[in-house]
This record gives sequence, structure tokens and C-alpha cells, in this order.
Amino acid sequence: MDTLGLLASILYQFGTNAAFLLLAAIGLVVILGMMNIINLAHGELMMMGAYIATIVTHRGIPFPLAVLLAFLLVAMFGAALERVIIRRFYGHELGALVVTWGISLIMGQGTLLFFGPFMPSIGIPGGSFSLGAYSFATYWIVLIGVSAILIAALWWIYQNTRFGLMARATMQKAAMAEALGVNTDRVYMLTFALGSGLAGACGALLAPTVSISPLMGQQFVAPAFITVVVGGAANVLLGAIGSSLLLSAVKTPVGLLFGAFIGTVALLLTALIIIRLMPNGVSFYLQRFTERRVGA
Amino acid sequence: MRLLHLVNGGEDLGRSRWFWIGFAAVILALVALPLYQTEFEASNASYYLLNIPLALGLSMLWGYCGILSFGQVAYFGIAGYAYGVIAGNLTETSWGPLVGSVGGLLLCAAVGAIFGYFVFFGRVQGWIVPILTLVFTLLLETFLGQTAGYQWRIGAVQLGGYNGMTGIPPFQIGNFIFQGYAFYFFALSLTVAVYFISRVLMNAHFGKIMIAIREDVLRTETLGYDVRFYQLGVFVLAAMLAGLSGLLYVQWGNYITPSQVGLLPAALPVIWVAVGGRNRLLAVAIATYLLNWINYTLSEAGNQYAPVIMGALLLLVMLFFPRGIIVAIAELRWPWRRDVTPVSVQDRSA
Repeated sequence: MDTLGLLASILYQFGTNAAFLLLAAIGLVVILGMMNIINLAHGELMMMGAYIATIVTHRGIPFPLAVLLAFLLVAMFGAALERVIIRRFYGHELGALVVTWGISLIMGQGTLLFFGPFMPSIGIPGGSFSLGAYSFATYWIVLIGVSAILIAALWWIYQNTRFGLMARATMQKAAMAEALGVNTDRVYMLTFALGSGLAGACGALLAPTVSISPLMGQQFVAPAFITVVVGGAANVLLGAIGSSLLLSAVKTPVGLLFGAFIGTVALLLTALIIIRLMPNGVSFYLQRFTERRVGA
Repeated sequence: MRLLHLVNGGEDLGRSRWFWIGFAAVILALVALPLYQTEFEASNASYYLLNIPLALGLSMLWGYCGILSFGQVAYFGIAGYAYGVIAGNLTETSWGPLVGSVGGLLLCAAVGAIFGYFVFFGRVQGWIVPILTLVFTLLLETFLGQTAGYQWRIGAVQLGGYNGMTGIPPFQIGNFIFQGYAFYFFALSLTVAVYFISRVLMNAHFGKIMIAIREDVLRTETLGYDVRFYQLGVFVLAAMLAGLSGLLYVQWGNYITPSQVGLLPAALPVIWVAVGGRNRLLAVAIATYLLNWINYTLSEAGNQYAPVIMGALLLLVMLFFPRGIIVAIAELRWPWRRDVTPVSVQDRSA
């Protein structure tokens, strides 16, 4: 019984680590993959989602509704951001990096001034159950499921909807898509809004599991970007899945044995080594592999 | 003669006789600062000056070579901590601080070289480099933050976690200790020296290769230059300059904490360089001095908005003066100006 419990516990740790990485990275992945914009304000968008969810939950609104609200509000904020600032930096990779960093600075420090350094967090919804000597939080199990559903939904949107088709066309060759009547400007705005909204929703989803503070976005920066960097840009959704599973496979044992900090260091080292070995990221190889399988 | 020619090359602001007269006047005013300012004010001025090497390093890296780094403060911190540990353990001898300084710089070079090897010889795409430098910086901060316990002791020196490392000895050669006005002159002369060396370097062949890499990596490579090698070179150089600033900082304040390596300090150098004009060294140096002065004045007045103002400044500069405010001012067509400074290769990188 106990070996089963241990096994389940390790699997659970692996799952939560992978889900955390995926949730931290998904908004970033959408924006990077579709628009080639590296959004350094990503952590602050997650912070914004977490704040929205926390505030409205304290007012008595049920948590799932709060997550939805966080998605909508942060998506609207993202759309405004894209209209006013981001769209001036298409094609200027480094410029976009710097300007989104300025945005993140203003958002983080502004929240600090406006809301103060702390905010009472919301408790983890759902209880926990135990298997042998090990206990498991129901909420994390739900989060693992939610991250899988999110990825599947994104996949479906990009493969089966009209918006997805237009977005993929824009991504492949913007000028050509425009010539065929796609309003690429609109696609960019919607994509940025979608990415921002996802960041907000994921921030809201993770809000019960972390402490809420204006600079909480920082803790997502390292895992989110490592996940994206390891994933690469060849096929971002595939890359995000592959790299969050791979990184979790590294982080889980190291973190269990040596603590959380060494686990994160191991993440960076893994990222450095993977970049040295496969500069195009995991997704490039995953895609080639799947294409070969399909082609054969 | 050849050196003079290089100093006066086209890759930095100002080449006319009047420019150099003005330059000399500013230097003279800085040298004469003790005549009209108190020791406390001179100490503040040294703080504004000591950030300039770091900014110049980032300018060469980003503005000239097209490699953006958010992690220059990591090398600032590495050098500061290394100096603290080495000099703090060699308090009996008078050459401890000198050994500490050399050790700090060498450690910066070594860490920069290892990191740069993975990044540049892995041929990482342009946008990944800044991300990795940022992640590296965040990890360094986390690591230094958890060194509070007594087991984190190197010889006689405590790393001290978020309380920071205290009692770091000042710089000293023989029995002469650099403090007050003496430290001000030390920082001033080092800063001016670094500026001239950088200016010569960017006008020399090395600088031309930097610009070539910024403009087109593939083309530079097909002309027979090993791009990876030069990228690594300028990265290590920038790391050592950031280290120099870190050394001066701990010698000035005798104190360093992990928050010096945090996200907010990491943002500041990028702001200085962007506001000045990233591919003009002099503009960067001026902006660094002025923005440090403004930042200090704002936070001294108890103004908590300083970081927000700095962020907003960065945003406005990126939107309206993408080449930098100081550069924009310098390139205005003043009515008394006969020739317009020949603009070298136009920067298309960012």
C-alpha cells in the first residue's frame, strides 16, 4: 500500500510541477508563438489576474466565476495595451522586450503603491485526501486537469475555428494573409488579448496556492520563460507540453531531494544544456518526429 | 596620433573642436568639485559616477553589438560579493582590497565566459539571450537571499542573506585608504578612463565588427569573422565592466545586499542606456549620471513613485525617442552648427 502511495505521491508531484509550469507559461506561449513578441509584462498580467480573483472572491463571488472575470478583464486590458503600445513594436524583437519590461515595472510598482505590500490570500478550495501516508490536495488535481483542458482548447481553437485559421495564416506570412483579406491588425489584437487573458486566468487559478503581493509576478517569470525557451518557437503548443513535462521530470526528483531552490537552479541548468544541444528547442524535434510519423 | 584618430572616430557623439572644449570644461568642473561641494555631496557624485562603467558595458553589448542583457547587475553583485569575501578575509595585509578587486573582476570574467559560451556557441536566437540573463539574475538573487544562516560563512565573512554583507573594507593601496574626496577622484578617474577605452575600442576595428554583427550576423560571418567569438568577447567585457561598477559600489558603501541583484536594479541600467541612446557611449554616460541623480533626489525626498517614474520614462523613450533622448538633443540642428555630424551606420536592430 505504501509503495503505491509513494508512487502516487511522486506522480502527483510530477503532475503539479508540470501543471504549474504550463499554467505559468501558456499566455506567454500564445503571444510569442503567434506574434513573436516576448511579453516581459507576463508576470504582472498574472499578478493582475490573481488580484482580480482575490478581490472579487473576498466579496463573495464564487471562485470559478472569479477566474472567468479575471480572464475577461485582463484580456480587455491586454487589448488596450496592444492598441496603445505593443503594436508599434512589431518586428522589433528587442524593442518589444524593453517596452514590455517598462510596462511590467509600472504595473508591479504601481500595484505596490496602490494596494500596499500584502493582500490576504484566498484559501485553497476543495479539501485534500490521503492515500497511505501521503496526502493530496484536490485543487491541484483539478489544476492538472484544467491545464490539460486549456491546452486542448487552444489546440482546437487554432485548428478548427475561423479565427484559428486566420491567426495561423497571419503567423505564417502576414503580407500574404492580408492580401487574402485577413485583417491582420485585428488578429494581432485578439491574439494579444487572448494571451493576456490566459495569463490573467492562470494567475487567478494559481492565486490560492501562492501568497498575493504586487511583486508576485516575479516568481512566475523564471519558470515561465524557461519553459518557453526550452520549448522553442517551431510549434509553441507542442513545445510547451514537451518542455513542461521534461522540466518537471528534472525538477521533481531534484526538488524532492534538495529543496525547491536547487530544483529551480536545475531548471536553468537544464535550459542551458538543452539550448546548447538543440538550439531550436524541444518543439522543433517533436514536430519533426510527429511529421515523420504522419508522413510515413 | 593613430590613437587620437581613433578617439575622434564617428561611432560616438562629438567630434568638433567646440565639443572637445566643452568636454574638457565638464571634466574640469568634475575635478574641481571638492572646491564647491561638501564631502557628502562628493560622495553622492561618486555614486552616480560609479554606475557609468556598467552602463557603458551594456551600451557596447546592446547598442553596438545588438545583444540585449537584463542581467548586468548579476555581475555587479558577483564582483561585489567576491570583493567582500576576499578583502574581508585579508584584513591583516594592506593589499587585501587589491587582491579582492582583481579576484572580483576575474570571477566576473569567468562566469561571463561560461554563461556566454553556452549562449553564443549554442547560437541561441536573439530574444532568448536577454531572457536567460534575466533568469540568471533572479536565481542569483534567490540564492544570495537564502544565505542567512551561520553555515554560509566563507572564512571570516558572513554572506548574510537579505541582511546583506556588512563591513566590507574600502579600497586601499599601501597604507592609503580611498575614502571621501579620495574615493571620488578614484571613481572619477576610473570612469573617465573606461569611457576613453570604450570609445577607442568602438572606433577601432573591434567596434566595426560589433556593428557589423548588430546589422547582419550572417553577412559578418560570410566575411570571415567568427561571430560567436566576438559576441563572447564583448559579453565578457561588459560583464567585467559591470563587475568594476560592483567593486566601486561596495568600496563606496561598504555594504551589499541581494536586492542589488533584484528585478528593479536589473531594470535600471537598461533604462539609463535606452534614455541616453544605446549606440552612443557619451549619451549613455550622461544619462546614467543624470538619472542616478534624479532617482536619488526623488527617493531622498521620500517619493515612492521613483520606480514608476523610471518605468514610465523608459516607456516614453521607447515610444517617442527610440534612439535616446540625449542623442536626439545632440542631433538637433542647432542654428550655429555648420556641419551635421556624419551619422555612421544606422541602427536597425531594435
